Amino acid sequence: MLADNVTDCHVLVVGSGGAGCRAAVEAAKYGDVILLSRSVTGKGGCTTMAEGGYNAVLNPKDSCSSHFEDTIRGGAYLNDRELVKILVEEAPERFADLMNWGAVFDLSCDCDGFEGTHPAQRHFGGQKFNRTCYSGDRTGHEIMATLMEKVRGGDIRIIQEVTVIDLLTETLSGGEVRVCGAVGLDRDGNMIVLRCDAVVLATGGTGQIYDVCTNCATGNGQGYAMAYRAGAELIDMEMVQFHPTGAVYPYDARGRLITEAVRGEGGYLKNSRGERFMAKYDPERMELSTRDVVARSIATEIAEGRGTDKGGVYLDVTHLGAAVIEERLPMMLAQLLNFGVDIRKEPMEVAPTAHHMMGGLRITPECRTTIKGLFACGEVTGGIHGANRLGGNSLADTQVFGKRAGEFAGKSVMHRALMNSPAIVGQLAAEELRFNRFLNGSDSIAEIKERLRKTMWENVGIFRTAEELETALAEIEELSEMTPKADSPAVLAECCVLEDMLTVAALVVRGALLREESRGAHVRKDIVQDWTPETSPYGHTYQSIYREGIEKAGAEDISAEGAGKGGNVQ
Amino acid sequence: MSGKDKVKVGEKMLSVRISRFNPADQSAPKIKEYSVKVHEGARVLDVLKAVRDTLDPTLLFRHCCGAGQCGSCALKVNGEPRLACMTEAADGMLLEPLDLPVIRDLVTDIGKYLKEMPYLVPACEECAGSDGSDASSSGSCSCACSCSFAMPSKEETAEMKPLRDCIECLCCVSVCPAVKVTDFAGPTYMRQEMRLALDPRDCDKDRIIGITEKGLFNCTTCQACVLACPKSIKIPGKAIEKLRILANREGLTLPRHKEVAGLVKTTGRSVQPLPDRKGLIESIDEVLEPYGDVKGEVGFFTGCLYDLRMQSTALDAIEVLRRNGIRIITPKEQVCCGSPLIRTGQTAIVPELMKKNIDCFVKHGIKTVMTVCAGCGSTLKNDYDTPFEVKDINEILTAIDIEKPEKIGLKIAYHDPCHLLRGQGIREQPRRLLRLITDDFVEMPSECCGSGGGVKSGNPAEAEAIGKLRGEEIKESGCDIVATSCPFCEIHVGSVTDKPVRNINTLLVEGYRKKDAKNAENASVKNAPQEQ
Ligand SMILES: Cc1cc2nc3c(=O)[nH]c(=O)nc-3n(C[C@H](O)[C@H](O)[C@H](O)COP(=O)(O)OP(=O)(O)OC[C@H]3O[C@@H](n4cnc5c(N)ncnc54)[C@H](O)[C@@H]3O)c2cc1C
Ligand code: SF4
Ligand code: SF4
Ligand code: FES
Repeated sequence: MLADNVTDCHVLVVGSGGAGCRAAVEAAKYGDVILLSRSVTGKGGCTTMAEGGYNAVLNPKDSCSSHFEDTIRGGAYLNDRELVKILVEEAPERFADLMNWGAVFDLSCDCDGFEGTHPAQRHFGGQKFNRTCYSGDRTGHEIMATLMEKVRGGDIRIIQEVTVIDLLTETLSGGEVRVCGAVGLDRDGNMIVLRCDAVVLATGGTGQIYDVCTNCATGNGQGYAMAYRAGAELIDMEMVQFHPTGAVYPYDARGRLITEAVRGEGGYLKNSRGERFMAKYDPERMELSTRDVVARSIATEIAEGRGTDKGGVYLDVTHLGAAVIEERLPMMLAQLLNFGVDIRKEPMEVAPTAHHMMGGLRITPECRTTIKGLFACGEVTGGIHGANRLGGNSLADTQVFGKRAGEFAGKSVMHRALMNSPAIVGQLAAEELRFNRFLNGSDSIAEIKERLRKTMWENVGIFRTAEELETALAEIEELSEMTPKADSPAVLAECCVLEDMLTVAALVVRGALLREESRGAHVRKDIVQDWTPETSPYGHTYQSIYREGIEKAGAEDISAEGAGKGGNVQ
Repeated sequence: MSGKDKVKVGEKMLSVRISRFNPADQSAPKIKEYSVKVHEGARVLDVLKAVRDTLDPTLLFRHCCGAGQCGSCALKVNGEPRLACMTEAADGMLLEPLDLPVIRDLVTDIGKYLKEMPYLVPACEECAGSDGSDASSSGSCSCACSCSFAMPSKEETAEMKPLRDCIECLCCVSVCPAVKVTDFAGPTYMRQEMRLALDPRDCDKDRIIGITEKGLFNCTTCQACVLACPKSIKIPGKAIEKLRILANREGLTLPRHKEVAGLVKTTGRSVQPLPDRKGLIESIDEVLEPYGDVKGEVGFFTGCLYDLRMQSTALDAIEVLRRNGIRIITPKEQVCCGSPLIRTGQTAIVPELMKKNIDCFVKHGIKTVMTVCAGCGSTLKNDYDTPFEVKDINEILTAIDIEKPEKIGLKIAYHDPCHLLRGQGIREQPRRLLRLITDDFVEMPSECCGSGGGVKSGNPAEAEAIGKLRGEEIKESGCDIVATSCPFCEIHVGSVTDKPVRNINTLLVEGYRKKDAKNAENASVKNAPQEQ
C-alpha cells in the first residue's frame, strides 16, 4: 500500500526542542527543510523546562580547558573527548548566536574578569568556574522563545502534532543502508510519509520509561528506538542520570524537578530523624555535593528506613527566613504553594527522580550516526556527557550539536528515494500490519506502560544488580509479547510510542548488564572493582541490531562510519 | 461511565463533565459526564489522563511539560481559561476547550495563530559581529545593512523580561473581545511586538506601521487578557498602551483620538460641554454636607463625563452619599484624569494633569478620593501615585451600613464595567448593593461592552460589533433592566439593548424615593382617621 500523504524535502528534522530547532535553522541555509514534531512546534520536549542555565566560557579569566576538564571529570572519563572539545569551544559561539537573535539573558556588570555589562553567570555543581548563563529560572524557555522566533522568521516548513514512528531506509548499490525518510501518524491516525536526503533526529531523552521522572510527556525515547531499528548504533544506554531532588507529593507530581538552586541557596537535607545525613556521605561538601552522590545518599536513607511516610527525605529552607526565600526562590515558593506546601514554614519532601539520558546514538563530530543519511543531536545522542552530565551542559549541547547536525545534513547530497521502490513499499506494508495488530489488540496501553515504568524504577534505578536487571529484562520481554489495543486509529501512535518505550527500556537494561563496573550514574552493587573511573579498563557499551558489547578503554574512537555497515555483525 | 476498581487510601473518585466534539461526525459539542479514580491533589490534567487511560482512550487533549512551562494544556475549567497541569481538580468541574477554533474535544487550533507571531529581524552577521565563519549567508542580509546592532542594556532587559514570560498558551486570545469581532491580531501578538520594539537588536524599521495595521487601536483595554493569563502578563498596560505611545511618535494616532487630546489640552476636559447645560462642578457647592450626622468625608473626583454629560447620574450618587452621612468635597480645579490620553498613547501632557488633580485634593486635606467613573478610578489607582487613598463609590457604600431602600420589583442584571471588575478588582460590592434593591438579581457573563480604550471614539464600528454581542447576552439573561457602574458603559450598553440601563445609584435613589413615598403614604393613612 502507499500512503497518499507523501511530502518531500531536502532535510527532515524530527523534534522541535532546542536541538531540533537549531538544526532546522542551520539546515535551511542549504535547502528546503521540514521541522516536524509530536507536539505543537516548540512546545514539546524538555528544553522548554530547563531552568538552571547554559554553560559557556565567556569570562576572560575562565578557559575552555577548564570547562573541558570539569566535563570529563564530571562524566567519569567516559566522554568522547573530541565531542567535549567541540562542546566547550563552540558553546560560546552558539550562545552569541542566541544573543544576536534576540535572547534575553540576565545581565550583570560587576563580575571580576569582565568589562562593562555582560551576561550574568552562576555557579553550577561540579564546575570550577561560574560559567552558567541564565535567564531567571526559565533559561530553557528563553532559548526556545528565541529559536521559535528564528524558525518563524526563516524559510522552514513546519509540520506539527505528527508522531514519527519509523525511519525509512533503502539499501544502496554497495549494500550500504541509507535513511531516506520517515513515517509518521497524525492526530487522527493517518499515515504520513516524508522523503528526504537526510534526517536529523532530535527527539530528546527518555525519562518517561521510569515511574518517577522530571521529563515532559514526549520524553519517551522514540528516537533511540527507531534509529536502533533502522540499524544505528547506540552507546552507554545504561547511563541514566537521577536528579537527587524530585517532588514526592502530590502523587501525580512525583518526580517533578525541585531545582538544585534550593540546595545552592543553603537548603538542608534531613531524614525522618531530623539528621543532616549528608554528613555521613560527603562531610565536606554536604548538600552541595554532586548530583550522583546526593541522589545515592538520599536513596540509601530511604532504603534503610529513614525516609518520610511519603517516601522521601526532607529538604528544609525554613532556617533561611521568609524574606530570603521570597527573594531567591520565588518560583519554587509559588509552585509548592500551589501544591499546598509553604516552604517558608515547613520542609519540602524530595526523592531522586530519573532526569537525563547520557547515552544515545553514537555520533561523529559532524553529528553523523552510524547509518548514512541519519544525523542526530541533543539528548538523543551519546558520548558527550560520558557517565554523568554536568548541569548546564545540555542546553549548550543542543545548540552546538544542533548547529552541526543541521549544517552537515544540509550539505549532504541530494538523491531522493523512489517512493515505489520495493524496499519502501515493503516498509510501509509492514507498518500497516503493525497498525492492524494494534487495532485488533487486547491489552491496555496504560497498564503495560505502568508495569514497564514500575519495573524500571524498582530494578534499573540508582543501584543495580545483575539479578534485578534480569528481572526487569524478563518483565520487559513479557510486556513486549502483549499487544496494546488501539480503540481507534487516533490511538495508534500511542501504541507505537509504547513499543518504542519497551525497546529503549531493554536497551538501558542490556547496557547496564554489559557494564560490569560502577561508574558515574551507573552503580552496580554486585560488582567489586579495584579501579577508579579514570583507570577503568572499559569504554563505551554499544548496541545495535548488528552487534553489542563493551569497548576496552582507549578504544573509544571506533570509526562511527564503519560500525553500522551490514556486514559488521559480531 | 465509571472507573471500576476500589478506591484506596490517597485516592478519590471524582466526577467531571467534558466537552466532546468531533467535527467529522458531530455538528455541535456534547458534554459527557465521567466518574474517575484519581489521586489526592490531582490536577485537571491528571483527571484527563485518568479518563483517557481508564474510560475512553479516544479523548483528545494537549499537554507536554506538566509544569506550566510549555503552554500546551490551556482549556476552560468551569468557563475560565486555565492551564490543566497547574489547576487543582474539583469534583463536578466542567472542562471545555478554549474559545478558539476547535479541532477535536479539548484541542484547539493554536498552531495557526502561533505561526503568525512576529519575530525579531536580526542584524546581518557582519553588523552583529558574529563568528563570521558562516560564509553561506553573507550577501543575503535581510536589512540591507541599515542595521545598527547593539546588545540590550540591563534596563532594557529588565523591561523585556516580564513580556518574555509568555508561554504562548493563548488563554488571552481566547477571551479578547476585540479578536472576536475585528481583525485585531490579539493580545499576545501585541505583547510580542512590544518586546521586539524594546529590543535594540531588532532591525525591522517599519515595525510600528505594521502593528497599527494589525489593529493596535482595536484593544478596548478591558483587561480580560490579564486575568486570563497564567503568567499574569499585563498586556494592555505594558504592551498595548506603550505601543500606542510609539505609534503616536510616528504620527499614527487616530484622528479622533488626536481631537480628544487637543480638547484636553485646551479645556482640561475630554468632552465638550453641552450648550444647554451647566457642568456639574460648576453647579454644585464645593462642600456638600450630608443630611444627617457626618459619618465620613470624601473628595469627589467626577471625571469628564459626570461633569459635562451625565450630571443627573452624578447627582443620584451625591444624593445616596448625603443620605448616608457622607460629606462630599468637589474641588473646582480638577481636570481630566488623563485616561483617554494614556489609553491611546498620547501621554505628553499626562504628568501635568496628574499634578493638577493631586494638588487640588491635597489642598483640601482630603484623605479619601472617591471615583464614581470606573475608568477614572482605575486610572487613579493604577497609573497615578497618589498621596491619598482612592476608592470607588461601591467600596465606600459597602464599607458603611447604608440605609436600605425599598425593593423595586424588577429583574436586574449587572454589567461589570471592565475598569471596575478587572481594573480595580471590584466584583462583590456592586452585587451587594443591587441585592438591596431587588430580590431578582441575575448574573451575566462578565464581558466587555466595547467602548473602552478609545475604541468607541476611534473605532465606532468595532464598539458596535462588540456591543452587539453584549446586547445578545443581555437578552439571554431575561432581565427587565441592566444596572452598571460606569458612565461609558451606561451610554454604550444603552445603545446596544432595548432594556433600560441605569447606574446603581440611580436605582438606589429610586428605591429611596419609593420608600419615602410609602412612608408618607403610611403616615397619611395613620393620620387619616384623625382628620376625618
Ligand atoms: C526539568 C528539566 C530541567 C533541566 N534543566 C537543565 C538545565 O538547567 N541546563 C541544561 O543544560 N539542561 C537541563 N536539562 C536537560 C535539557 O533540558 C535537555 O537535555 C535538552 O533540552 C534536550 O533537548 P533536545 O532538543 O535534545 O530534546 P527536547 O527538548 O526534549 O525535544 C524533543 C523534541 O522531539 C519531539 N519528539 C519526540 N519524539 C518524537 C516523535 N516520535 N516524533 C516526532 N517528534 C518527536 C518532541 O515533541 C520535542 O519537540 C533539564 C531537563 C529537564 C527535564
Ligand atoms: S485588554 Fe481586552 S481588548 Fe485589549 S487585548 Fe486584552 S482582552 Fe483584548
Ligand atoms: S500572554 Fe499570557 S495568556 Fe497570553 S499566550 Fe502568553 S502566557 Fe498565555
Ligand atoms: S502541560 Fe505544559 S503548560 Fe501545562
